[in-house]
Amino acid sequence: MTVTILILQFFLVLAAAPATVGIVRKIKARFQNRRGARITLPYWSLLSLLRKEMTITRHSSWVFRIVPFVVFGSALALAALIPSFAVGILAASMSNIFLVGAVAALGSAFLVFGGMDTGSTFGNMGSSREMTIASLIEPAVYVSLASLATLSGSWSLDGIALFFAASKWVEIILPASLTLVALVFVLLAENARYPVDNPATHLELTMVHEAMVLEYSGPYLAMLEYASWIKLTAMLMLVMNLVAPWGILTSPFALGATLIALVAFAIKLGVGAFVIAFIESTIVKMRFYRMQEYMSLALIVALGGLAISLVSIAV
Amino acid sequence: MLRLLTQMIRTGKKTEPAPILEPIDEVGENLRNAIHTLYGGRMLRIRHVDAGSTNGEEFEMTALGNAYYDMERFGLSFVASPRHADILTVSGPVTRNMEHALKTAYEMTPKPRIVIAVGDGAIDGGIWKDSYAIVGGVKDVIPVDAEIPGDPPSPLDLLKGFLNVLQGARK
Amino acid sequence: MVASFFVASLILPLVAGVAALLLLRTKAGHMLTQLVFALGGLSGVVGATLFYASDGASTVVFHTALFSLVVGTLSVFFLGIISVGVLLTSLYALEGLRRYKSVYSLPWLAVASAFFIFGMQATVMASSVAGFLVAWELMSVAAYFLVIADGTEESLHAGFSFFIMAHIGFASLVAGFLLLSAGNPFAEWPEVALAAKTMTPATLSVAFSLLFIGFGSKAGLAPLHQWLPMAHPQAPSHASALLSGVMLKVALFGFIQSLFLFPSVPLSWGVVVLVVGLVSAFFGVLHAVVESDMKRVLAWSSIENMGLIFSGVGAAMILRTLPYEAGPVLASSIAIFVALHIINHFLFKSGLFMAAGVIVSEVHSRDMDIMGGLAQKWPIFSGVFLALALAAAALPPFGTFFGEWMYLQSLALALVGLPLPLSVVAGLVLAAVALVSGLAIVAFVKMFSSVFLGRARNEHAEHVGMMPMSLMWPPMVCAILSIVAGVLAFPFFSSHFMDGASIMQDVVIVQGASMNAWILWALIAGLAIIALLLARFLRVPVRITDTWDCGQPLTSRMEYTATGFSAPFRFFFRAFLVSRKEMIVTPISSENPWIANRRLEWSITSTWERLFYRPVGQALLRFAEYARKFQSGVVQMYLLFVVIALVGAFIFAL
Repeated sequence: MTVTILILQFFLVLAAAPATVGIVRKIKARFQNRRGARITLPYWSLLSLLRKEMTITRHSSWVFRIVPFVVFGSALALAALIPSFAVGILAASMSNIFLVGAVAALGSAFLVFGGMDTGSTFGNMGSSREMTIASLIEPAVYVSLASLATLSGSWSLDGIALFFAASKWVEIILPASLTLVALVFVLLAENARYPVDNPATHLELTMVHEAMVLEYSGPYLAMLEYASWIKLTAMLMLVMNLVAPWGILTSPFALGATLIALVAFAIKLGVGAFVIAFIESTIVKMRFYRMQEYMSLALIVALGGLAISLVSIAV
Repeated sequence: MLRLLTQMIRTGKKTEPAPILEPIDEVGENLRNAIHTLYGGRMLRIRHVDAGSTNGEEFEMTALGNAYYDMERFGLSFVASPRHADILTVSGPVTRNMEHALKTAYEMTPKPRIVIAVGDGAIDGGIWKDSYAIVGGVKDVIPVDAEIPGDPPSPLDLLKGFLNVLQGARK
Repeated sequence: MVASFFVASLILPLVAGVAALLLLRTKAGHMLTQLVFALGGLSGVVGATLFYASDGASTVVFHTALFSLVVGTLSVFFLGIISVGVLLTSLYALEGLRRYKSVYSLPWLAVASAFFIFGMQATVMASSVAGFLVAWELMSVAAYFLVIADGTEESLHAGFSFFIMAHIGFASLVAGFLLLSAGNPFAEWPEVALAAKTMTPATLSVAFSLLFIGFGSKAGLAPLHQWLPMAHPQAPSHASALLSGVMLKVALFGFIQSLFLFPSVPLSWGVVVLVVGLVSAFFGVLHAVVESDMKRVLAWSSIENMGLIFSGVGAAMILRTLPYEAGPVLASSIAIFVALHIINHFLFKSGLFMAAGVIVSEVHSRDMDIMGGLAQKWPIFSGVFLALALAAAALPPFGTFFGEWMYLQSLALALVGLPLPLSVVAGLVLAAVALVSGLAIVAFVKMFSSVFLGRARNEHAEHVGMMPMSLMWPPMVCAILSIVAGVLAFPFFSSHFMDGASIMQDVVIVQGASMNAWILWALIAGLAIIALLLARFLRVPVRITDTWDCGQPLTSRMEYTATGFSAPFRFFFRAFLVSRKEMIVTPISSENPWIANRRLEWSITSTWERLFYRPVGQALLRFAEYARKFQSGVVQMYLLFVVIALVGAFIFAL
């Protein structure tokens, strides 16, 4: 049964990922007084990319060609490990916070290789920036996850989500509030969203994630884009499941509960996408050389969250 | 920020119902249908190359993305790299400086690809025809699938032009 | 039986040294020398294996009245690492050194290596203070000759600062050990421990500080780390691998061994070791990120890794002293991290130094800014290097990752249950280790991408020859071993943290779904199969084109160099790095001053240089100014000094 639920969760995240991006784009368009594209458009864009030719630069090596597979693999692992739909499933105890962090770091390291293996200055620039962001956000990632872990007494994301689902919301949300804010900082930085990166930019000099994939085309591009959407969806669902731990599927897995969990999943995804779109519509992107302010703020908030968690478990 | 939000809410959607005399929606609807049947994908990514235009075409193309025309709703979007593109739009007469750039951009666009010459300059050189500084129209440098005349063509002309291309491609 | 293998591993390097001198500069002589070194390494490996296969009791290897050599569980661990290092590096040197036969005098280099290897092994086996110190000094002096082997100005300078620092360290070791053994230089370790029992805490603290300074300066801990990135890269690459991968571990061995001499370890010592370790790790990794000399990056990364290991030792010392029930368990799991990281650091660092040696000999430069594009030329070798670089960056599935995971996890577990102020400290340590591991990823991603990816930036890099198999396989063995370390570490590790809920009460096991190591590997394998299937399924036409250049043809000079890649870090961490930029303008035309040759020279110095070395140096000079006044050059004055000294000694003795 747990295997079924694991597979269900895995494919649910995979299926929902393009829609997440579609919803964010749609809401952003609405904020700009536009109608915007249909939310199903990302699915079609993936499909059409899969059928296109690939043009690859002659200055690249075998590393360029394995990058999409490693990045996509890392995203798939995140989809399987992060409790987005159900808790207590087979992969649960593997979702140790440090393992999940390292799997995500592996993906970003390879994405950086992809940007560097082109001989293009844009790709190099994006790689340098991505590496900066990915490495400097690391302390905030581990501190905020560790404070959630101390709070819940479990070192797997699964156990953390289970603890949040089992506790009374009012009692848990106060000590966790600062940590959750830090997690949102992490979410935005890891997924190349505002204020760290502008996902909709066409100007190379303002790009981070986009600059690294400029040289990819066809199926490889589809894999990289899809990977970044999956990562966004999985992390967004993790934060949503902690902020609003209702409706997540717990054992015993009954059919009715599964249906409720599906509905809850859709609602949380929608709300999360709305929040991201709202953030992106109301703030501006930060100058890259001010990024250390963002990172230090994230770390300080995370440390504050850790202090609160420690105090709250002590009393 | 609150003022900004109230402003947004008060303004409402600008896309519709604007006092339109031009049949944008109709053209757009046809365009979308055309895209549906073309690739199996419902999306067309455009990479624009300015080969030496007056920027008149660029102003009009930028207008496609604004709240009034909102081309995204028809499944069209601009992308940052020719490697991501389905359509290559080229404006302006091809100057000697941009000849290489245009060729490489064409070379890097993955097939199936469509090249559209936008504006009179791009079609045959326009008012710069036979000037020593230009190579000629776009078709003198790379194969062109369609042309959208006008100096510059209006956004609606552009949309219609895209539609014609796609309908032509379908046949 | 075991002892004879260790004796062989001790004697064979010396035999090799003698053989090298006798056979002079012949090819056969070089080959024979290196093979004898390798044989020595092999017998050490066999000895260590036999030792652990048997009961593992302490064995006397060699015994005389004056000193003896003994191996125990701890020292055999380090002996094993030394032996594997010697084995791999001497096999690498077979071909690797021959390329440099015009640069180095191979016989004398072999003699220096012989004493170096002998010194390291004897240090680890020494059973008394005097034996230890003599062996240690032998190792240091031999290492000095390895550093200056090529005789260039830079090497001599680096060797000089190495020599000075090694002897400051040696002096404080002598003082520390003599203090601890109550002045008896021939005391065996148990006697030293016995003598230490009767001492006052103040004396013990002084002895501890002296020993920590002595071993720390050898291990490259801040602030006495400045010599390491100068000295290690100057040695021939196989010797750099030994210096960085192995000799630093000998210093660590000395430190751990002397910890057992103290009757008890107060909290404050652990805190000092932890803080110094973290500071070293931070500065080491920061310089590894901004440095663009290939072998220096590796040397800075050694400082980082030794810093991490020492911080682990410090954390374990703290956790053991605290009245805290989970303390001993966590301390032992951090000790496992230390052991794992010693192995892993040895593997990837030796591999990287050897691989870097190949690259340097082909590209004729250590500057990563002018390399690039090697992955197209050497696909297999670049794969080996990638594996080593990812291991160095502590990413899964390499052994390093599992070691660091264990460390982070133990630190995180220490958050719970400690008194509140200390748990906040544990949180800060966690953040610092996370920052260090994040920056380590940058350093090695930068290294791999600027050396192997993109386009070649100089002629030599563009026209490199075939990679000889004889140079490729020693790094490859290191890469494979670090993957094996990951595979083997995982089950071991999972039994600690996942299934072993009884050991770590804080781990919640959900539904009995135990963390089975093989599930992760099955997942990885499954993903790989999916990827391969995708690749089959997505067979679309591929066209090779130029790089997208916006119309301005790209040259390799437009690529980001290693220096460019790390620019954000130089900016963000400018408080810790002092960079000096200088534009050198040489006019070409006398009429127009604007026509000139412009060259930017810049260098990065550490804040330590400004805040620590410079003031200390100036103070010493000022002191020397005063001291000079005594040097009148008059013989009678010197006789007077002698008399005063004698009288003083008599008074003190009475």
